[in-house]
Amino acid sequence: MKTEEQAWKRLREHAAALITPGFPDRVLRAARASASPLLVSHFAMCAATAALCLIAVALYDARASGDDDAQSLAGWREISAQASELDQSL
Amino acid sequence: MDEGSTTALGERVRRAQRGDDVAMRELIVSYQHRVAGFVYAITGRSDSVEDLVQMVFIKMARALGQLKAPEQFESWLFRLARNTCIDHLRRQKLRRIFTPFAPEHENVPEPAGAVDAEELDALRHALAQLRPKDRALLALVQEGRSHAEIAETFKTSVAAVKARLHRAREQLRQYYHSDEN
Repeated sequence: MKTEEQAWKRLREHAAALITPGFPDRVLRAARASASPLLVSHFAMCAATAALCLIAVALYDARASGDDDAQSLAGWREISAQASELDQSL
Repeated sequence: MDEGSTTALGERVRRAQRGDDVAMRELIVSYQHRVAGFVYAITGRSDSVEDLVQMVFIKMARALGQLKAPEQFESWLFRLARNTCIDHLRRQKLRRIFTPFAPEHENVPEPAGAVDAEELDALRHALAQLRPKDRALLALVQEGRSHAEIAETFKTSVAAVKARLHRAREQLRQYYHSDEN
């Protein structure tokens, strides 16, 4: 049992020696650095998503209204043709 | 920990929560070696200890504001450390599934000169035979955590902790002494 306790003590000493000088300062720098880019990337992601949605809506709207316009135009052309026929028959 | 130390710790944590960098630094310095020992007991790899300990303290620094009971800082910190180590070991296991490692790559030995005592090597090998959660349990006991605190960390009952601890100790003793021989 004594050797096991000694081994645990050695384990703790060995692990403690693995922490290199300047460790607390590195941690504080990394903790600060990791917080702000996260916020920027969040905003960037939101902006990119909003832009993609707007583009999708605009494209759909353009296509849908283009189809509507073509239909209306065809309708008016038909009406115009019928009117011309009527004129000619009169 | 005695009441005076707990009060002093609570005060230091509150100062760090208010943005006091000196207090935050003091917390890191006070616990860095203990957390390193804890991490090494669970992972068994010298080359990943500093990175993992750094990860633990970065999480600590970012989440400290959410700690409602500053006097519980130690339990909270070791719970954070335990979860970080378990996540790390899970990721390693997952990586092994997707990367075609040959059997000789599975048991990569410690870097040369990393372990300078036979008994430490024997303990490390014995710990490696246990499940990571059992290693964490033994490491928490080594840290002087009570059964009640360990039960809180593992989100289980004190009776379950005692039973599991007894089993883990028996297994460790068995592997340690067979390795010594």
